Amino acid sequence: MTTSMTDNAREVSPPATGSRTTFWLGVVSLVGVVALILLSFFVAPEDDDQHDAVRMIFIHVPMAMLTYVAFSLTAIGSVLWLWKRSVWWDTVAHGAAEVGVMFCGLTLFTGSIWGRPTWGTYWDWGDVRLVTTMILFLIMVGYLAVRSLDGDTATLATRAAVIGIIGAVNMPIVNRSVTWWASRRTLHQKSSLTDGKLEGLTLFTMMFGLVVFSIVMVWMLIHRFRISWLERQVSEGDLSEALIARRAEAAVVSSEGGSK
Amino acid sequence: MDDIGDPLKMTDISARADDLSPRTPRPARGRRRRIVPAVIAVGAAAAIVVLVINLLNGSLFFYDASEAVARRAELGTDRFTLLGSPIEGTITKGFDGDETVVAFSVAFDGVDVDVVHFGDPPDLFKAGVPVVLDGAWVHEPAAVDGFVGNETDGWHFASDRMRVKHDNDYKNKSEYDSRVDKANKEGRIVATSNASGG
Repeated sequence: MTTSMTDNAREVSPPATGSRTTFWLGVVSLVGVVALILLSFFVAPEDDDQHDAVRMIFIHVPMAMLTYVAFSLTAIGSVLWLWKRSVWWDTVAHGAAEVGVMFCGLTLFTGSIWGRPTWGTYWDWGDVRLVTTMILFLIMVGYLAVRSLDGDTATLATRAAVIGIIGAVNMPIVNRSVTWWASRRTLHQKSSLTDGKLEGLTLFTMMFGLVVFSIVMVWMLIHRFRISWLERQVSEGDLSEALIARRAEAAVVSSEGGSK
Repeated sequence: MDDIGDPLKMTDISARADDLSPRTPRPARGRRRRIVPAVIAVGAAAAIVVLVINLLNGSLFFYDASEAVARRAELGTDRFTLLGSPIEGTITKGFDGDETVVAFSVAFDGVDVDVVHFGDPPDLFKAGVPVVLDGAWVHEPAAVDGFVGNETDGWHFASDRMRVKHDNDYKNKSEYDSRVDKANKEGRIVATSNASGG
């Protein structure tokens, strides 16, 4: 009987978080990252003013754009959890938040490294673009921390969803800060992409970076979703198992009491 | 799509109801594991409050050169942040002991300000690329050997921190030239000087 139960469980739950699709996504990601490195360092030209420092744009800008994508997914998932109690969307929101925090952290890190040779400083605590991005990062770190707290899963998901939506409200401020406060409060340049200030191989390499990191993000999201899904199965399985154990104990106690 | 599945389906644990053998209790969640997320959440919230207060205080609020001159009496010797573009031909380097000193004039909206900056300037520092400087007004002319400032009212701005505020235009002249050459050879560039008939 034990064997048949195990077999049954194997039929229902996936053996791993990987699949043929994620395998090929992983392969394409790996090849894409290698191609991006070659394009960035050996093909794309240096900038007349920034020289080699400009190559950071091929990582920094795609990371920043995908941060918005990931946190937008978190916000959408959060709304659908609050509105429809959709567990599927809540799982998406959680996975996207984790991936988004990684991308956002890398955006801050690469931007800081880029800032040193161009602005002359790694960081400025009064700069509205930098600080609002850091606030976005911290909000989403808080989201993940809340999800890790002890307590009822649904309650924690609801609290995290509210934080996820607050993070989304901050995103337009982050994005538009370089326009709204361009001459007052930020060293950060305006968007080169929307202003049409990128061209030739520089533009191509940056867009290629965006495509490559998008594939990486999808690959990560699929894996993270499946892990979260399995975690939920296990935790809810634990609960059911505990209930059955308590019922069984109660049945034994009552039968012993009856026999006396 | 919304349904992640009935967990009972996964393991069919209802079938274990008759299995009353003793089970090893799962270890309780560690104290550290319970506290760390709470500390991170509170720390993140506190950091956000500090950052927002710092932003509202406007620690990087620029006055451009024309505003800084107009508000000179109000600003007095208080520190503030100045924005302006270094003027071609005014950049003069010197030394104050072992420390590098750079004197130059910046312009904004037709108003010039003489600046003496103590310390090494950023790599991208050059004429025409705006700089953001932290410092204060000093009521005496900029005294750096060889420096001839544009401002003659006897004031200069003494700076100890400089950042370059470069634009969003990324260009490579040789790549641009080669593309223009190629387009010329392929006949894709048409002279437009007489195209309007003017």
